[in-house]
Amino acid sequence: MRTLLTETQQIDEHVQGTAAPDEALLFEAKLLLDAELPLKVQWHKQTLGLVQQYGRKNLVSIIGDVHNQLFTLPQHQSFRQKILQLFR
Amino acid sequence: MPVNNTQAETEKLIMRLYKSAFPPVARYVAKMGGSFDDARDVFQDALVIYYEKAAAGKLELQKTESAYLLGIAKHLWFKKYRDGLYDVSLDQFEGPEFADKADPQPSEGRLLYYLETAGKKCMEILSAFYYDKLPMKQIAGLFGYAGERSVTVQKYKCLEKVRETIKQNALQYEDFID
Repeated sequence: MRTLLTETQQIDEHVQGTAAPDEALLFEAKLLLDAELPLKVQWHKQTLGLVQQYGRKNLVSIIGDVHNQLFTLPQHQSFRQKILQLFR
Repeated sequence: MPVNNTQAETEKLIMRLYKSAFPPVARYVAKMGGSFDDARDVFQDALVIYYEKAAAGKLELQKTESAYLLGIAKHLWFKKYRDGLYDVSLDQFEGPEFADKADPQPSEGRLLYYLETAGKKCMEILSAFYYDKLPMKQIAGLFGYAGERSVTVQKYKCLEKVRETIKQNALQYEDFID
């Protein structure tokens, strides 16, 4: 059974487009009535944008580490040579 | 592709993809007259795109990992060749899902830096959920929560916390431009 959604859950479902049709309709009405709600939606989108940036930055840093390992550590020498000879 | 669990597992995954898919990408870029650095840049961007597609469940399953990565890399290379520039390709190719829908704030870099330090745990939980798109059960296990319910509560607390930081930041900015 679904419990009553908190406002943040409702905002998240609205932004993600996962709200059930009746909830979506109710939320649209709330957006018109509550002056701060559209701002909260805006901040929520920005939050998700920052989370995306954070996650991507972390992944890029792992990729950089792996690259450095492959192109410096002795155990990856044959891999390294195979790649580098392509650019000679 | 099995999307990651922990940092160490993501690293293992990237290592495996690098070993299997970088040689064909490097061969292609070399054949097209590109340098080692070009091959690295194109491949690393392809890895990010591939990872994000996999996390979102948007991969076509009939292709092998290597073939997929080579396909993305060729696309990126073609863009580079056509545009004569290879700068912000990643954001152009597949930007953040939500960032472009929100008005960009001038102090976003500072905000991200602040959140990385003061709100690291929240950012980790939120990125496990929204970026890596891991199931709640797994996130609960990774972050030491008793179950899905408690980690869900924490997720919403974190969303509120980050949103509040953004709000404060926006208010400060308004003061600044007034």
